[in-house]
Amino acid sequence: MTPEDKPSRWGGLIISLHWAGAAIIVALIALGWAMVYGGFDSASTFDFYQWHKSFGFVALALTAARLAARFAGSAPPPPPSPQWERGLSAFAQGSLYILTLFAIVSGWLVVSTSPLPVPTRFFDLFVIPNLAPADPSLFAEAVLAHKLSAWAIAFLVALHVAGALKHHLVNRDDVLRRMSPGWPKIRSARR
Amino acid sequence: MFIQDSEEIMIARKRTTWRFRIACAIMTLGLLAQVRALAAAPANWRINPARTHIAFAIDAVGYPRTHGQFHQFSGRISVDFDHPDRSSVTFHVQSQSVDVGSQPFDDYLRSAAFLDAAQFPSIDFVSKSVERVDDRSVRVTGDLTLLGVTRPLSVDVAVQRETAGGGDRLAFVAKTSIDRLAFGMNSGFPLVSREVELAISSEALEL
Repeated sequence: MTPEDKPSRWGGLIISLHWAGAAIIVALIALGWAMVYGGFDSASTFDFYQWHKSFGFVALALTAARLAARFAGSAPPPPPSPQWERGLSAFAQGSLYILTLFAIVSGWLVVSTSPLPVPTRFFDLFVIPNLAPADPSLFAEAVLAHKLSAWAIAFLVALHVAGALKHHLVNRDDVLRRMSPGWPKIRSARR
Repeated sequence: MFIQDSEEIMIARKRTTWRFRIACAIMTLGLLAQVRALAAAPANWRINPARTHIAFAIDAVGYPRTHGQFHQFSGRISVDFDHPDRSSVTFHVQSQSVDVGSQPFDDYLRSAAFLDAAQFPSIDFVSKSVERVDDRSVRVTGDLTLLGVTRPLSVDVAVQRETAGGGDRLAFVAKTSIDRLAFGMNSGFPLVSREVELAISSEALEL
């Protein structure tokens, strides 16, 4: 595929999955913070945990669908940026995919190996099975992995947003526009 | 001779009948007095559900303290103020009526991990003895049955008698704690503490 054949913007499916995933990742980090450090009462904390677990599985489905769509479809050409910027961008985006999957699987392992087994009821509809039996030492490791990956995701999301805003406000190119829903004007669409 | 004799026998019989009647009357009076004494002894009281709260609290590591209560229960209180040891109390609490303020959390507590409400629908307390501690409190000792396991439990109960409106009221406040492991409720230990605090307050109206 030559650069001329590449689409000028991301496809509708990728755009939808991107923003839905973005909203859920931000919500998951906020819920995760609130349920651990928020100082809410016991009942609210329990509900936050259940929502965090349910939305975690929604995030898993969205990320898997987006990866499949990325492999199946084609991406718009990278903007004319310096090599190091492209490298950083690819690193942030690639790491976000990997860390998102890592955070979800480690979170699933946390609820599976917890010494207090609370069934994961997906939006109170059905029970999602555990990955492993209760195991206190594996639980401690999974908690650490889940926390570290969540903080890393928060950092990478900040980097990713900063990069997009830099393209939009400093470079004044279409990097943010071509990922935006229903944005008809694409400045660099035709070369 | 024979007639005289028979007359004497008749008189003797009459005397006997009178003695018998008097004795019977005395016994009846005595019996009545006893029955009255029994009736006056332990009066039955009706528990007012609207002013009865069966609450609990439990701690966990890295998790806020959980407060909850049970909404459905039945009980009987029998009080003898002159002989507190003749008093008694029974409480039957429906485990499925647990409420901690979140329906998914309630469902989890009803599950086999904690209350196992399907298999053990009732948590029961039956007193065995009541002793007076001071003017305002009694010590109630009895059996608590939870998850089908019966263990002794002794609780100090503050009692206050109020005469208001239509009749007498008794207000009770009891606080104690139980070791859930003793009843085989092991889930989450040691993350979830073994000690469960109980706070029971109730009001009873004289029947």
